[in-house]
Amino acid sequence: MFTLPQKDFSAPTTCLGPACMQDLGSSHGDDLEGECSRKLDQKLPELPGVGDSAMFSPDTSYLSSRGRMIKWFWDSAEEGYRTYHMDEYDENKNPSGIINLGVSENKLCFDLLSWRLSQSDMQRVEPSLLQYADWRGHLFLREEVAKFLSFYCKSPAPLRPENVVVLNGGASLFSALATVLCEAGEAFLIPTPYYGAITQHVCLYGNVRLACVYLDSEVTGLDTRPFQLTVEKLEMALREAHSEGVKVKGLILINPQNPLGDIYSPEELQEYLVFAKRHKLHVIVDEVYMLSVFEESVGYCSVLSLERLPDPQRTHVMWATSKDFGMSGLRFGTLYTENQDVATAVASLCRYHGLSGLVQYQMAQLLRDRDWINQVYLPENHARLKAAHTYVSEELRALGIPFLSRGAGFFIWVDLRKYLPKATFEEEMLLWRRFLDNKVLLSFGKAFECKEPGWFRFVFSDQAHRLCLGMQRVRQVLAGKSQVAEDPPPSQSQEPSDQCR
Amino acid sequence: MSHWSDTLPVPSGQRRDQVPRDHSIYPQLLEITLHLRQAMREHFVQLTSRQGLSLEERKHTQAIREKEALLSCLIRRMINLLQSEAASDLELQVPLPSEDSRGDVRYGERAQLSGQPDPVPQLSDCEAAFVSRDLSNRGIDISVFYQSSFQDYNAYQKDKYHKDKNTLGFINLGTSENKLCMDLITERLQERDMNCIEDALLQYPDWRGQPFLREEVARFLTYYCRAPTQLDPENVVVLNGCCSVFSALAMVLCDPGEAFLVPAPFYGGFAFSSRLYAKVELIPVYLESEVTVTNTQPFQLTVDKLEEALLEARFEGKKVRGLVLINPQNPVGDIYSPDSLMKYLEFAKRYNLHVIIDEIYMLSVFDESITFHSVLSMKSLPDRNRTHVIWGTSKDFGISGFRFGALYTHNKEVVSAVSAFGYLHSISGIAQHKLCQLLQNTEWIDKVYLPTNCYRLREAHKYITAKLKALEIPFHNSSSGLYVWINLKKYLDPCTFEEERLLYCRFLDNKLLLSRGKAYMCKEPGWFCLIFADELPRLKLAMRRFCDVLQEQKEALIVKQLEDAMRE
Repeated sequence: MFTLPQKDFSAPTTCLGPACMQDLGSSHGDDLEGECSRKLDQKLPELPGVGDSAMFSPDTSYLSSRGRMIKWFWDSAEEGYRTYHMDEYDENKNPSGIINLGVSENKLCFDLLSWRLSQSDMQRVEPSLLQYADWRGHLFLREEVAKFLSFYCKSPAPLRPENVVVLNGGASLFSALATVLCEAGEAFLIPTPYYGAITQHVCLYGNVRLACVYLDSEVTGLDTRPFQLTVEKLEMALREAHSEGVKVKGLILINPQNPLGDIYSPEELQEYLVFAKRHKLHVIVDEVYMLSVFEESVGYCSVLSLERLPDPQRTHVMWATSKDFGMSGLRFGTLYTENQDVATAVASLCRYHGLSGLVQYQMAQLLRDRDWINQVYLPENHARLKAAHTYVSEELRALGIPFLSRGAGFFIWVDLRKYLPKATFEEEMLLWRRFLDNKVLLSFGKAFECKEPGWFRFVFSDQAHRLCLGMQRVRQVLAGKSQVAEDPPPSQSQEPSDQCR
Repeated sequence: MSHWSDTLPVPSGQRRDQVPRDHSIYPQLLEITLHLRQAMREHFVQLTSRQGLSLEERKHTQAIREKEALLSCLIRRMINLLQSEAASDLELQVPLPSEDSRGDVRYGERAQLSGQPDPVPQLSDCEAAFVSRDLSNRGIDISVFYQSSFQDYNAYQKDKYHKDKNTLGFINLGTSENKLCMDLITERLQERDMNCIEDALLQYPDWRGQPFLREEVARFLTYYCRAPTQLDPENVVVLNGCCSVFSALAMVLCDPGEAFLVPAPFYGGFAFSSRLYAKVELIPVYLESEVTVTNTQPFQLTVDKLEEALLEARFEGKKVRGLVLINPQNPVGDIYSPDSLMKYLEFAKRYNLHVIIDEIYMLSVFDESITFHSVLSMKSLPDRNRTHVIWGTSKDFGISGFRFGALYTHNKEVVSAVSAFGYLHSISGIAQHKLCQLLQNTEWIDKVYLPTNCYRLREAHKYITAKLKALEIPFHNSSSGLYVWINLKKYLDPCTFEEERLLYCRFLDNKLLLSRGKAYMCKEPGWFCLIFADELPRLKLAMRRFCDVLQEQKEALIVKQLEDAMRE
């Protein structure tokens, strides 16, 4: 499980163990910084509450205790950001620069989106868009969101605009929900591997932590597929958290899952929701990849399509345009919840997570253009995702590398365990480092709080020329590496002193 | 006080014998205490709200109110205690109401203890709190605090005045927005250079703000703040609004329960930004309207007052981490001279305090005879690593819906720590591009926008102050900002915050939304803030409603005085 503070510390924000700290920033863009920053020699600081806080130089700092920890979040990310941006690949200007297969961004459809966003209907400017408005989001946008979600989530009854809250991205929504659902120090359950940036989102303001439900790659017993989430595992993790004195307030589900690309069946979803209801847990369902299911044979089922939710008052759904419309820089996210207390409480924080009125108008125009979405954007996007996915998965097959991917999302979860001389996270980091030295950026499993060292996330939603070059560089590294693996050096590197497992 | 719970009936549906043995008694005690408090409140309301009291009786009422404040303080402590015990019970079934859940932050408590119960951050909306079974205590607190403060604003949003469609709707002179230059800014934002969709704008940004925008902000501030040397884009962090910047600063400069000093009256929005997420206390440095030997100007800020407030706070065991200054001041409208500014900064340095300077109205100085001096124009700052400047486009460009705020600080630690909040307070790439274009066009700003804006502000100000003079209403501010700070004391009898609230409600009943002094933590009842940066037809109608209300109020006062006289 996660590490608990050994002693009370004046700053309540600092209750995460090193394990959680290490993986902040692993997708939704922050992974960019997160992964780049993973230098092997970078020693993670001990956190206040966990051990020595001298790392944060309290005597000389201008910051509060929590400020020092917050700064640490940024510094570790910032360093990586520089590494990548100082040497970003560019076909003409910097052909030997770093190829980024680490950040989960869809770079395949900028042409379509630029075209759509440049249409004349997008350029409206009027006073009401420039003034203070309803902090939940302009009504015209909330109405559009409700219609959009009703249609694409196939909800049995029309969804209602008053259950919609609009914010500047999914990160903000995690922050606001964590704050209004949990007290400081309380926790959400989350199955691992998971999109690691959530750790930071729920921690910065909310001081809420994540209690991991660790899943295994091996298929045994009742599991029918790798990393399968079951109610037994949820129960166990919940018990464990309780036994450690941690109060769990909710469960976070990502569907389609990131990084597994997995999709929960309606039956599974129902089981998890019933489990949550039994324990009076809130469920936050992050459906940010719901329209990025590019394999037609895969039937995706939104939680909003369920005929009856076991506990509608405690079920909160997130969606955003970052992934499905490939616009992570646009900063638009939305909450759908039937619980008016929760909607109101989140809205009370919205003045800190507001979105420009002009952009709200553009989003409403975009979401309302069902013809373009259905006839142009989605088919084209899916075709491109599928082609890119096919390319990378065939490359991996040719290399004899096992991987998981079920036809959703922008990534493939790749099993490189056989390339690690020893099954440690230190070796995983070394391999990741080797990729970076060979100018290809990936995300490693530790950043997703994966239990088993050796898993990597490959993002394939990029232009073909970059993808080819990236895979070529991956091959080079693995070719070199696999030899080493067959002929391991006599002195093994040390086991990392990872206290959390 | 425990005997109280014994004398009260157990709330319905919870008979003692039905309580399982291992079930904690705390939730139950808590509920009883809450009922008790409710009963007490009602009792006191009855005691004190009788009309037509004589002077003697009024003194008596004052004494009762003081008792009430004391009792409610004790009960609150009891509730906090019970709540913490109840919360530790994992099997807890009873939803916990918010009772100032953080314990260490108490807004307006001084005012309450001085005998002026006021509903602003009243924890009292306990009906609301009881309904919610799903929120955390802090979630309830956030929700109740926010909603109770914005109830009237929401009513306005739903029933806005429109010259054709809704002539009986609310007119809002209570929210500080500049609506005078909508034509200019709308036109500007529609120009070709504004619309640019590049791949980079749609991808994950630099969370501190896109480099092109930070460079532009640095250049802009260098020019308009008259900085002695070029400001550095690396010292700029760009977020979605000044309130976000303030919230992030409060997080990284203070731990929960620590405090900032703020000269009062001050912009009420700070109360939210310090409390909702950051849980930082604002300690008012109370300024007075009366001119005395030491107070040469109304609401004058002096180092003595700062020092006194600081020492008093320290004496009470509070940890003060900084000082918040607003320049041009909101709501009084004062502009600090370079000398006074320097004194405040030196005071802060002497006590190792951070200084957050909010210069959000810096370009809204409409009196040409007055020069605004930005803190960034100083040759040398007493403590540059503890001086943090906030500016945004909401007021100076009248685009509060655009969501843009910037921090400028020399302190790299603060830059980094605030940058971490970029994830949660980010601005759309598309909007960042537009802002950059807007700030870049110095020619348009200098030749078109600013002169027009200042002229229109001046005219609106002239109109409103002429009206106020005719009504013989004293006011402050004749040079900057979007507001005048007016004194309606003579319409209050007795001059209490309760009467101030009633007058505010009277305005509201007449579909006029104003802000009252209490929301600015003003020490003296009877002050109101009036936003004049609105179009003339609306302003005229608003002033008509304003006059009507005051006329009504005046008549009511006369009747009351007559009745009192008759009784005597």
